[in-house]
Amino acid sequence: MNRNRLSFKIIVRVLLFCFILGGSIFTIYYLFARKTIERESRENAIHLAESAVYKIEEIINPAEMIPNNLAWIMETNTLSRDSIYAFLKQLVRNNESVFAGAIAFEPHMFSEEEYAFAPYAYRSGEEIRSRDLWSPAYNYFIMDWYQIPALLKKPYWSEPYYDEGGGGVLMTTYSAPFYRNINNSRVLAGIITIDISLEWLTEIVNSVKIFDTGYAFLISGNGVYVTHPNASHIMNQTIFTYAKEIDEPKIREIGRDMISGRSKFSNVDLKEIGKVWIYHTKIPSSKWSLGVVYPHREMYAGLRNLNIMIFMLSTVALVLLTIATIRIINRQIGPLSKFARAARSIAGGDFDTELSAVDENHEMKELHDSFRFMQEELTKYIADLKETTSAKEKIESELRIARGIQTDMIPHIFPPFPNLPEIGLYASLESAMEVGGDLYDFFPIDDDHLCFAIGDVSGKGVPASLFMAVTITLIRSMSDKNRSCAQIVESVNKTLTINNESNMFVTLFVGILNLRTGELQYCNAGHNPPVLLNRNQEPRMFSNTKAIPVGIFEVFDYRDETVVLDKSDQIFLYTDGVTEAEDADKNLFGEAALIKSLSENRDKSSKELTDRVKQSVKEFVNGHTQSDDITMMCITYWGKNENKIK
Amino acid sequence: MKITIDRTDEGFLVVLNGRVDTTNYNAFENSIAHLYNEKGAAIYLDCSGLDYISSSGLRIFLTLQKKVKVQGGMLKIFAMQPQIKEIFDISGFSSIFSIYPDYETAKHAG
Repeated sequence: MNRNRLSFKIIVRVLLFCFILGGSIFTIYYLFARKTIERESRENAIHLAESAVYKIEEIINPAEMIPNNLAWIMETNTLSRDSIYAFLKQLVRNNESVFAGAIAFEPHMFSEEEYAFAPYAYRSGEEIRSRDLWSPAYNYFIMDWYQIPALLKKPYWSEPYYDEGGGGVLMTTYSAPFYRNINNSRVLAGIITIDISLEWLTEIVNSVKIFDTGYAFLISGNGVYVTHPNASHIMNQTIFTYAKEIDEPKIREIGRDMISGRSKFSNVDLKEIGKVWIYHTKIPSSKWSLGVVYPHREMYAGLRNLNIMIFMLSTVALVLLTIATIRIINRQIGPLSKFARAARSIAGGDFDTELSAVDENHEMKELHDSFRFMQEELTKYIADLKETTSAKEKIESELRIARGIQTDMIPHIFPPFPNLPEIGLYASLESAMEVGGDLYDFFPIDDDHLCFAIGDVSGKGVPASLFMAVTITLIRSMSDKNRSCAQIVESVNKTLTINNESNMFVTLFVGILNLRTGELQYCNAGHNPPVLLNRNQEPRMFSNTKAIPVGIFEVFDYRDETVVLDKSDQIFLYTDGVTEAEDADKNLFGEAALIKSLSENRDKSSKELTDRVKQSVKEFVNGHTQSDDITMMCITYWGKNENKIK
Repeated sequence: MKITIDRTDEGFLVVLNGRVDTTNYNAFENSIAHLYNEKGAAIYLDCSGLDYISSSGLRIFLTLQKKVKVQGGMLKIFAMQPQIKEIFDISGFSSIFSIYPDYETAKHAG
């Protein structure tokens, strides 16, 4: 799929969004689930530990009751040697958990004559036997089980031990002191002990099952392992030696907390089973402490399995979503490609291109309809355009023809009068883009008189050119040797003014030069004043006229004026296209520049002079588009008998 | 080109700014055409801001003058810049328009 395609982009964005959304949901779910599992595991750990402790207490508490009750009996009664033995034997027999029991008397406490007496009943196979513990070799007064409770004056649980005599089972001894009132004072009379097998304890603790590798363990008040799934630890290791062995200071901390009787959760990394939680709590009656070990891996195993399942399901869902999205998007935006193809085909000129139909009524349908609309409008527009273009072409060709006719109406063969040596004449009309209204004309009236005219119709375009054609025709037809310049202008004015609703006007300069005398009669109807050039003088302009252009008022008193030319004098006539030629900054060429250019070229022929001025104007505008016709005419008067054309 | 037309106590004050040439004389004519039909109106044309006028523009001045006269009104032009005055002088239009140096003079002239 093309990466730049809209469908690709949509799919990528949708999937990315789904991915992020799914990821976020999953993360939140995962954290929540983990927390829940953690909380439940904690509760479970506490519960497990508490119930184990409860079970232990259930056995320990009655065991504690025995010496306590016995102490009471011993304090209140004086029993005979035999009855004590019988009593002890009976006690061991009746209490399954009790392996042995003993009543060790203080020196001379049982009888004056006897130094020490410690009747002892114990199990030996199925039998219950009894004997006196005292022998010179076994001075029980210095034994822990005797000395500690005697000194502390309170019951004492011994550290667990393997009893060699008792078949190598793990044992512990509970010792409680008992007293007698002698001379009204309470005196220690001895220590009552019972030995309890710890086999049952191991059973209880080992029955705590936590997943596959989790377990519970019990340590004594000194930190010795009393129970542990690894039997080699029992009685051989303390939690501290174990901590040292695996080099894990945290275990030592846990050990310290355990023997000081605290309940606590800890996180620790165990070599054998990895990261675990350890919860420990004390056994209230003894200084022992129970720990439960929760392996992380197994604790979260269910969650991990669930995660794998979710991940697989998500992957499948994502794949399905991708396929579905691609299909949906392709179906929905498929028409776009077709539209694009159609647009290219339309752009190529095939306006009848069929658009693929869109059935569903949504944006695509809207696009389809707008597209169809555009197609129709375009077809219509092109048709219109063809029509207008052909119409325009027609007009343009007509305009071209008009301009041709207009150009043809003015004389453009130079020199115009090879047989008139008295004058040199040159004229030029450069049209702007649009058809303009400039005009010039010259023609002999008779052998001695040359009539010439220059004019500028207001405005531009076809109306101006029509007006110009009428004007030039009128000038020709109105000029004869019986009319003065003013009369010619008046006649032209009168004719043009009639029905001139558009108020168009022509600035017009008409002159009649007497070739013999050099007398120039002229009438200026609002035209730019011509320039008179004399070799020996600076160029000077004719004075401004008071007469208005023709075509404005039907009756206007146009006047003739006269000037006499010397031989080789020149008259330069022009339209405002020259003085108002603009450069790019809209500066006008102006009269001063015209005079300057004329002054610099006053010894030149009519043609040369005209060309030079044209050149000056061209340099001034510097490529800026010409906006008005530029018309110039120059007449050099040589006079009679001067056989020269200049 | 910019034109503003205000009705004043004296009649209308038309202020013409910029250039009037072949590219915009139509717009010029359209914006003042409604004055053609004002009966007996005195129209004051302020040319102080007028920088250039072509013959097409002159034609509209002429038309305005004619129309106003037909309706019994008058057109007074004032404050022309020298180059505009020159165009009027060259074409002889100075003789057919009433031209004044400023508004005050134009108002008080008969």
